[in-house]
Formats: sequence, structure tokens, C-alpha cells
Amino acid sequence: MAVWNALEGFTPQLILIAFALVLPGLDYLLKKDKRPLAWFALIPLVAIAAYLVPKLFLSSEPLSMQVGDLLTLDTFSALFMLVFISVGIVIILASPEFIRRDRNHGEYYALVLLALTGMTVVAESNDLIALFIGLETAGISSFALSGFRKSENRSAEAATKYFIIGGFSSALTLFAISLIYGVAGTTNIEVIGQTLNGSMAALEGSRSVVRLAVVLFIAGLGFKIALVPFHMWAPDVYEGSPTPISGLLAAASKKMGFAALFKIFLIAVIVTKTDWQVAIAALAIISMTVGNLIAISQTNIKRMLAYSSIAQAGYILIALPVGTQYALEGGLFHILTHAFMKSGAFMVVAAMGAVAVGEKLEDFKGLSKRSPFLSFSMAIFLLSLAGIPPLAGFSSKFVLFSSAVYTSADGPTWLVWLAIAGVLNSALSLYYYARVIKYMYMDPGPTDRIRVPPMIGISIALALIMVVAIGLYPQAVIDICENAAAGAFPGLPPGLP
Amino acid sequence: MFEGIPMITIILLMPIVGSILTFSLGRRESWAKWFALSFSLAALVLSVVVALQFMVNPTSQATGYHDGGGFFNYQFYEEHVWIKALGINYIVGLDGISLPLFVLTTLLCTLSVVFSWDTKVRAKEYFGLMLVLEVGVLGVFVSLDYFLFYVFWEIVLIPMYFMIGIWGGPKKDYAAIKFFIYTHVASLAMLISIMAMFFQAHTGSFSMEDIALAGSIGGVNNPALFTGGFQVAIFAALLFGFGVKIPIVPFHTWLPDAHVEAPTAGSVLLAGLLLKMGGYGLIRIAIPTLPQGAASLQILMAVIAIVSILYGAVLSLAQKDLKKMVAYSSISHMGFVLLGFATFTELGIAAGVFQMFAHGLVTAVLFMMCGVTQHKCGTRMIPSLGGLSKKMPRASTLMTIGFLASLGLPGLVSFAAEFMVLASMFQVWALWLWLPILSVVITAGYYLWALQRTMFGPLTDQIDTTKIHDVSWYEGVPVSILIFLIAIFGVFPLVMFQFINPAAHIVFGLLTHLGGV
Repeated sequence: MAVWNALEGFTPQLILIAFALVLPGLDYLLKKDKRPLAWFALIPLVAIAAYLVPKLFLSSEPLSMQVGDLLTLDTFSALFMLVFISVGIVIILASPEFIRRDRNHGEYYALVLLALTGMTVVAESNDLIALFIGLETAGISSFALSGFRKSENRSAEAATKYFIIGGFSSALTLFAISLIYGVAGTTNIEVIGQTLNGSMAALEGSRSVVRLAVVLFIAGLGFKIALVPFHMWAPDVYEGSPTPISGLLAAASKKMGFAALFKIFLIAVIVTKTDWQVAIAALAIISMTVGNLIAISQTNIKRMLAYSSIAQAGYILIALPVGTQYALEGGLFHILTHAFMKSGAFMVVAAMGAVAVGEKLEDFKGLSKRSPFLSFSMAIFLLSLAGIPPLAGFSSKFVLFSSAVYTSADGPTWLVWLAIAGVLNSALSLYYYARVIKYMYMDPGPTDRIRVPPMIGISIALALIMVVAIGLYPQAVIDICENAAAGAFPGLPPGLP
Repeated sequence: MFEGIPMITIILLMPIVGSILTFSLGRRESWAKWFALSFSLAALVLSVVVALQFMVNPTSQATGYHDGGGFFNYQFYEEHVWIKALGINYIVGLDGISLPLFVLTTLLCTLSVVFSWDTKVRAKEYFGLMLVLEVGVLGVFVSLDYFLFYVFWEIVLIPMYFMIGIWGGPKKDYAAIKFFIYTHVASLAMLISIMAMFFQAHTGSFSMEDIALAGSIGGVNNPALFTGGFQVAIFAALLFGFGVKIPIVPFHTWLPDAHVEAPTAGSVLLAGLLLKMGGYGLIRIAIPTLPQGAASLQILMAVIAIVSILYGAVLSLAQKDLKKMVAYSSISHMGFVLLGFATFTELGIAAGVFQMFAHGLVTAVLFMMCGVTQHKCGTRMIPSLGGLSKKMPRASTLMTIGFLASLGLPGLVSFAAEFMVLASMFQVWALWLWLPILSVVITAGYYLWALQRTMFGPLTDQIDTTKIHDVSWYEGVPVSILIFLIAIFGVFPLVMFQFINPAAHIVFGLLTHLGGV
């Protein structure tokens, strides 16, 4: 039993890996109908969700399971894991009908599970090496997934581009890790934090090395979360990948980058906060502004959603320079809500792709007549992304932006500008979100009904319920985010007046 | 009599349930109007019951602030925890300032449903959205928690965006998006101000009363936390946020576009209710919570008010489109609301609130009659019309009464309201009164001139007048009801002032107490 106790925090990954290894073999047993594969791939995800939800929402004691020195399953990582698993459920539900004409279904689901494994490892990692392994596992699976439609030029181009950029960003991250190791003599994130805290004063020379490492981290992980100016790959890859995979990249893979950023910047190199605070604040503002401005001119819905993701990454990034527990709570909350609204929006696009309607914005014209369910869900997801109450996106933006405003409680600080930039950008983003709603509800279009494939319908309905429920009653989720932020980052100031 | 019955929540639930049922009607679109009518009528009846309770007991029991008396005196007060981690509660209540607007909302929504009786294009969505709009506006007028207030405030935008965008005129796309984004930016300025007030007040609660008490009233041992500079900055931001809705010059440009393109019922609700939200926000939130900030910007408010009054009137004079003329006249009349508040006198505050109520009634008549003209004649362009009284005598009678009410004919409701605003201004700025008085002449000018060119004179030959019918029953009934109320409250304005005065007294007390005046 000792082994079991030591490994309990790693069970989710073990289950995921086991199912991923069986799936390709199972593919051979099925003749025509490949749908059972999706049900099979859902088993580990539902099991892990069933394991995590009571632990997070019902148990009163804080979660803490060490797996050696490398991984910890605490509230913070469990929250991220739940985000990844939920996105996984949503996209796997939507997949069978989307890829029904393609081959290699077994590999597809196996790769999705492996990508999720990598992401959960990043969320749990206590150590830069574990973190890097997780990043790579998720990355390599995603490269293959985005090139899943081998015969399609767009898909192949997306995979190639993603692979080159991904490899480059991994190299930068690894270089940064090696520099930090050189200064601190360890790869354990917490120990790095303590060591740097002690040595900074003594060793002025090491500060410049840490600075270089910080720059490399920003660049390397900036690629992962598609932060401007490291965002160029994202629209092409989202456009070229199969739509459920675009959803996975935007809603889950990107969040993995944030998990890594939070751990590295708020624990390992927090002592150099004055060095990176302004730079990251500037990147956040640039990212949201550029993302929103470019999104306005898009004609392809997947590209528009990609640029909107870039802007949303800018919002979430506000949590870093503000750097309070409350800000992190807002960041985590927005990560969670964004996962649902963005994956939901991508699944609507996937539903339209599955019935061969198309991915241009014009294809949404008159959608309210063709499928009231799709148009209503899309409208809710887009309004939530724009931050209109009482939807989930509003609640999380409220916490996130207010955290920047509250820094002025003891006299004005420049951090308030982050909130003002965020708020102005929300107004800007409303323009292109509302335009899609206008196309769906106000413009005439084709009148033939669209039959929504039932499983995609279920996955959209799941995301829709979450967006509305979290919006109306955010209390439970906010509590978890609060515990997660306080538990994983005890050293930060609380940040609530 | 209503101890323990959550009246406000029940009234809010009426349009919520109604809209859900209406949207889920499926193919039975023709039922939509009946659903909308029954649920909005139920809300109207209940709100009248609430108003009668106020009449019996205008200053009422200690249902006020945390049962401790204090400055505020709300009735039908309800408080429930909503988002505990952020100090957000579901708090609703009514006082003399919100009550007239609350009843106005249920009234205008019901009458708009009746007025839209022959809507057949996407009827289910039309009536469903109208009920959603009613939820939002009612919620704004009863919320006593900033977060709740903001949620309702933003909910209002979405149905109005759809109403303009789906059932609007030729330039509806532009007007709908402009309305949505313009007013959303203003809301966001308000949101930032709310966050700032929250942290500055250190109460850990988004309750409007808590923040006002801690921020600007303070106590024996805890001095008020909103300092001078903070008050001015936040008041300016709120003045912008609410001013866009009122709308004040120079933030008024969304209004004519939205009005001209909106369907008639949309215009009625937009001018009758949505504009009131701005004025209500000023007198409920900005002025009582930030009295020193308000005092520093008093002259600015007065100048903006007078500019809006005159500029709106002059622009109305220049319009060729009947509806656009009425839209610009709204800017002018809403300027009186701001002017009343800017005097910082008890009379001015009460008169400003009453002017909101009066304008809601009168402008609804005007927009409905513009709709009738459009509907029957196919155009609203003044040069194409003329001599319509021969073809539609009843419509022209109703329109004449509406125009006379709006230009301030004594005995009708606008006269009472605007006269009191001007009287309060005279108390404070004496002979500067000549500036807003000028607008009375201009207003009479554009209304009478428009009347002469559309209803009287020789019958027009620019449109086919042979098929013009008189006003239909579903158009005539709501307008007649409104005109009846316009006359009643014109003759007996004190009926309304017995509610408004105690509440205005509290706001005025705050202003004097805190050195605002």
C-alpha cells in the first residue's frame, strides 16, 4: 500500500496513459462504427472528474498529495486538472462526428489523452524538469493532432508550423531552466525561490543571469500561451487544425502555459518581480489590444476566435504583475470560465463543420433560423467572452480586473491601468462578438435546417450549462480558486481590502 | 400588510418566467403576445399594489438600512447572500425615488406589448425580448447592491440591441452596434468606479448603503473614507457613465440613430425607461455616495444640463423626420432632470425625479404617435405629410395632446415637473433662469410648427392619402391611457410628490450634512 499512497497523486496520469495505450489496439477490433472509441476514451476522463470534483467541492480539508519531490496534487493543480479534463470531455464528445470520414480514430483519441496527460503533469509539477517533460508530452501530442488530416494542406501546414515554433519555444524554455539551475543549483521550484531570495542580495552577478532566464521564460512560455509578439503561429494553427483540436489548443493547451507561468514567476523568480513586472504588464496590455484589433478584421471564425484567445491571454496575464492572491484567484477563475466558453464556441464551429456548412463568418448568416440551438449557444458563448453579465465570463473578469483596481487601496498605483486597459478592450471586443450575433440573428441567410449531430450537441450543452451556471452562482468556483491561490502561493499578499 | 412577502422578487419573476415561457413556445408564435401581455400585466398590477402600500404608509416601518434606521428608508427590503467570497448580496428595496420609475416601467412595458399587438415578424422573439428588457429595467430600479445593479444594467443592453437590430429601420445594423458599444463603454466606466468605491470604503461589501455610509457619511469613531480628490474623480467617471444614458451633450450621438432605427415599442422603452436609468443612477448612486464630488462639479452639471436643454431643442427644430425630432426633444427634456439634480435643493431633486416620470409618460405618447403615422402613412418625413387631421381625426387629436403635453401646457404633467425644476433653479442661480427658459419658446416652436405641417393645412399630395386609416384600437388604447395619466398627474402632481419628497429629503439631508451645499 505504501507504493499506492506514494503514487495516489499520479493516478490520474497513470489511468490516462493506460487508456491511451489501449486505444490504438482497440481500433483494430472495430469494423465500421468507430464511435465506441470515443466512449472508451471518455471513461478515464469521467472517472478522473468524478475523483476530483468531490475532493475539490465537498471535502473541507485542503488537498495535498506529494508524488516524490516532482509532483504535488493540491487544490491548484486539481483545479487545472479539472479544466483540462472538462475540455477533454467536451472535445471528445464532439469528435466522432467531426472525424467520421477520417482514418486512424484510435490514434486520435490516444493522442488527445496523452496531450491531457502532459498538461496535468505541468499542473502538478514541483520541479522544472517535470514541468518541461509535461510541456513536451503535451506539445508533441498536439503537433500530431493538428496534422491529423494528413491529406489536407492546411492541416499539414498547421502541424509543421506548430512543430517548428513549438520546438523553438521548448528550446528557449529549456535554456532558461538551465540558466536557473546554474544560479540556484536545483530544479525544484520552491527551493529555487528560497535560494534566489537568499543569494540575490549577496550575488549581484547572478541577478543578470536570472534576468536573462526570465526573458527566455517569457519568450518560451509566451509562445505556448500565444502572447503578442509570440502569437503569429496561433491563428494559422487554429485555422488549419481539425476544429475540436483547435478547441483543445485554445481552451486547454494554452492554460497549461499559464500553469507553468504562474509557478515559475510567482514562486521561483518572485524575488526579481521588480525586473519583470512592468514588462509583463506591458505585454498583457499589448496582447489584449493587438488580439482584439486584429480579430475585428477576420473573416474566418476560427481565426477570429484565435485572436480573441490572444486577447483573453492578455487579460489572464494581468494576474502576474498584480501578483496578489486575489489576482491569482481571478486569473484561475478566468482560466476556468474561458475554457468553457472558448471550447463551447469552437464546438459550435465544429458542429457546423461536421454538417459541412463552413467556417467563414458569412456562413453564420441566418443561423438562428437554421438551428436555434447552435445560434443561441454561440450567442451565449460570445457574450460571455465579451464579459456581459450575468454570464461566467463577466464574473471572472470582474474578479480579475478588480484585483488590479484594489492594488490602489493604499494610494494609487500604475497597476490600475491594467484594469482600465482590460475594460476598454472588453468594449472593443464586443464589436466583433456582436457582429457574429448580428449575422446569426439579424441577417438573412439560407433557410434549410441544420441537424446538429447529437454528441456535438451534448458537448455544446455541457459547456453552455457551465457558462450560465457559473455566471449565476459563481460562489462555489470562486471558493475553489481562492483556496487554490492561497494554497499554492502562500507567500503572496492577499490583495482583498 | 406585506410583512414577509418578497413582493419585489415576485414582481421581478413575472417577466423572467414570462420570457422563458414565451421563448419556449415553439411554433405557436401567435400565443406570444398573450403570454407577454399576461405576465407584464401581472407585474403592473402587483407594482400598483406596492404603490398603494406606499400611499398608505409613505415613510413606513423600519425596513430601512439593516433595521437600524440610519439615513435610508427603504420599503419591501430583501437581503440574501449571493457571492459571499466577494461580499456580493442580493439586496432589493424601493423608496420614493425608485417607486415612480418602477411603476412607470411596468406600465410602459404593458402598454408597449399592447401597442405591438399586430407584430407578426418573429413575434415569439419580439415579445420574449421585451420581457427580458422589463426584467433588466425593473432590476436596475430596485437593486441596492452594486454588483446586482451592474448585472441588471447590462442585461438591458442585449434585448435593446436585438430589438433595434432585428425589427429596426434601414440603417439598423449601424444603429444597433453603435447603441450597444457606446452605452457599454459608459457602463464600464461605471464598473471601474464601483470597484474603486468598493476598495476605498473597506467595507468588504458591495451594498450601496454600506459603501455610502463608510465612504461619505462615516461615524463617530470612523471618519468618512472618500476624500476630496477621490470623490471628484469618481463622480466625474460616474457622471460620464450615467450621462451617456441620459444622454447629456456631448455624449448623445447614439440616441438619434438608435431611436430613428428602432421599432416603435423599442423607442418607447428606450426613451421612456432606458434614459431614466441614467438619471436614476445619478440620484441614487453618484450624488448621495459622493456628495463632495458632486458639489465640486455642480456648475459643470448645471452647464451640461442647460447646454443639453438648448442644444436638444435647437436640433429638434431642424429635423425633417418626426421621430428624430421627438428623439432630440428627449435630450432637451432629460436636461431638465439633470438641471433639477444640479440645484442640490430638496425641490430640485424631487422635481428632477418627477420630470423623469413625466417624460416617461409623455415621450411614450409621442413615439407611439410617430409609430402610428409611420404605420398608416408609410412615412414620417414632415415635408411629405400635411392635413392628416382630415384623414385621421382621432390620431391627430391624440398627437396634438401629446405635443401640447410635451411643450409644457399647464395642467399637463410636464408643466408641473418643468415648472418646479425651473423654480428650484431660480432659488439657486436666480436670473440665469433666462437660459433654460429660452428652450420653452423653442420647444413650443418646433412642436407647433410640426403639428401645423403634418396634421393641419392642406392635405398632402406627396403620399397616397386615399388608403390612410385612422388609429387602430391597439394603438389608440395605450395612448389614451397614457394621456389620461398625463392629465391626472398634471392636475394632481402631489400624488406623486408624497412618495418622492421623503426620499428627496434624505438625499438633500446628506448633501447639507456633508457640506455639499
